[in-house]
Amino acid sequence: MDTVTTTGLTKSYGRQVVVQGLDLRVPEGCVYGFLGPNGSGKSTTMKMLLSLVRPTAGEVLVLGEPMNRSTRRRQLARIGSLIESPPGYGHLTGGENLRLVQRSLGLDEAQVDRAVRSVRLEEQLDKKVAHYSLGMKQRLGIAMALAREPRLLVLDEPTNGLDPAGIEEIRELLRRLAGRGVTVMVSSHLLGEVDKAADVFGILSAGRLLFQGSREQLFAAAVPDLLIDTSDPHRARAVLDDRVAARVDGGSLRIPGIDDQGTARVVADLVGAGAPVYGVRREEQSLEDVFMDLTRGGRL
Amino acid sequence: MSGRRVGTGGVVRNEVAKLRHLRVGLVAGLMVLGMVALTLLSTLTSAVFADPARRSWDVPLAGLSLAVPLVCPLLLALVASRMVDVEHQGGGWLLNATSGTTPGVLCRAKLVTGAGVVVVVTAVTHLSVWALGRLAGIDAPVPVGLWLGFAAAGLAVNLVVLALHVVLSATVDNQLVALGTGLLGTVVAVFGSGFPAWSAHLTPWGYYSLVAAAGYEGQDLVRTSPSCFSVLVLTVTAAALFGLVTSRFDRQETR
Ligand SMILES: Nc1ncnc2c1ncn2[C@@H]1O[C@H](COP(=O)(O)OP(=O)(O)OP(=O)(O)O)[C@@H](O)[C@H]1O
Ligand SMILES: [Mg+2]
Repeated sequence: MDTVTTTGLTKSYGRQVVVQGLDLRVPEGCVYGFLGPNGSGKSTTMKMLLSLVRPTAGEVLVLGEPMNRSTRRRQLARIGSLIESPPGYGHLTGGENLRLVQRSLGLDEAQVDRAVRSVRLEEQLDKKVAHYSLGMKQRLGIAMALAREPRLLVLDEPTNGLDPAGIEEIRELLRRLAGRGVTVMVSSHLLGEVDKAADVFGILSAGRLLFQGSREQLFAAAVPDLLIDTSDPHRARAVLDDRVAARVDGGSLRIPGIDDQGTARVVADLVGAGAPVYGVRREEQSLEDVFMDLTRGGRL
Repeated sequence: MSGRRVGTGGVVRNEVAKLRHLRVGLVAGLMVLGMVALTLLSTLTSAVFADPARRSWDVPLAGLSLAVPLVCPLLLALVASRMVDVEHQGGGWLLNATSGTTPGVLCRAKLVTGAGVVVVVTAVTHLSVWALGRLAGIDAPVPVGLWLGFAAAGLAVNLVVLALHVVLSATVDNQLVALGTGLLGTVVAVFGSGFPAWSAHLTPWGYYSLVAAAGYEGQDLVRTSPSCFSVLVLTVTAAALFGLVTSRFDRQETR
């Protein structure tokens, strides 16, 4: 069963459509990487999942039940979330902040302790939140979301402003939680930050879902550039003329967005024209490249 | 997922817990001190009080009737602002909304908590004035009815002003606006008595002049009876408006 399902989820502010027709499927027990550049609508979508923002159209199902104003209070008891900047009352200590969450959700001491341990904040509980570093604030925010032992955890850019070690630690935490059966939905505008942690990806651009699926599907969806190694790339390019968008890249010719048949044709043309071809390969692609490709082109 | 739902009581207890380090106690102390000191000052400098034959409770009551509008509007604005601004600063609206406590609920809990502070301030102030009056040698019997009416009506006006400031501080992030309004309110409250009675009904601060128990007309000290009916109407109206506005907060989207 999917933990989160949305159908045609849409949000407009006046004339501006900021989220358009999203059909999200977040499988149970996975880490779902929700990616998109700044302003693509990640936070708005997450707020709609939590019923903090009312959708203009569409529906949200969380844990098999509709999520709306009338079900929200009950639903929120099993959804932990951290949206945009990490919350926390600066004039109180971390421990006092957690006490507030504990009281408002009727949690017991042990639940709070476990949450604190899982983000390694034990040593900082007596410090005022105003004196916390950004990393500590993020951890406190996550601890406040975790204390209720949620079935679904919605984290909006939780690695924002963290150093590499901090990012790695959050990644491990997300994997650990998913291992325990918690469904984690985590957003980022940097693929690298969730890349290794996520099993399923959703890629948003300008309010539309460009892609949703596994890592393998993501790689398959984007065609990597073709590289043709030749002793005279300039001549080779002249041969191909304007039929394909080829450019010289070091000692080879780079051709983006070309399929297998196109490749065969190009190679045949080059060989026919007497250009020496001694290597034809696809470029090794990082997820980052795929992501950039998808979001820049706004296509799939 | 062993969350047990917590009612309004939990929200109010959280509000009380948030008061730590906010110096609301200090502001409350300042209110008491300010009102008592002003009352003492105006009493001891009063020509009426200097004459043992005419020495009566009307003198400190007139002093307190002036001290309340002088001290309360700004410091109430400060109390409300201190309580509400932490939500703006700490992302508290969103944090609470994600646990199911909507902004309107939060504002109502803040009013209840702030009201507790104001009740204590009112009680301590009035009791102090009474005790100091006794010490200063006012032997006349205490006009219990008048005094209780004055205290209750004053308390009601203070609560209305507090409610207004909770809403204002929650609506406008910049707390200078709230404090500026408090300052403006002080001016209206203090000079309200110089204007015709109908104009006092126009703003919540005007009502301070309607609750006075005594005052000077020229050199003469006169007893006035607080306009309890007007204050009742104000309180009921304000309660309805506060309920309306905060339930709108509950339905609003989180910023
Ligand atoms: N309350 C609002 N009123 C009007 N427009 C809004 C509102 N909230 C968001 N938007 C617009 O919706 C778009 C998406 O915003 P959103 O915050 O969801 O993006 P995001 O993907 O989270 O971006 P970022 O990576 O910067 O956090 C933006 O263009 C933003 O200006
Ligand atoms: Mg965002």
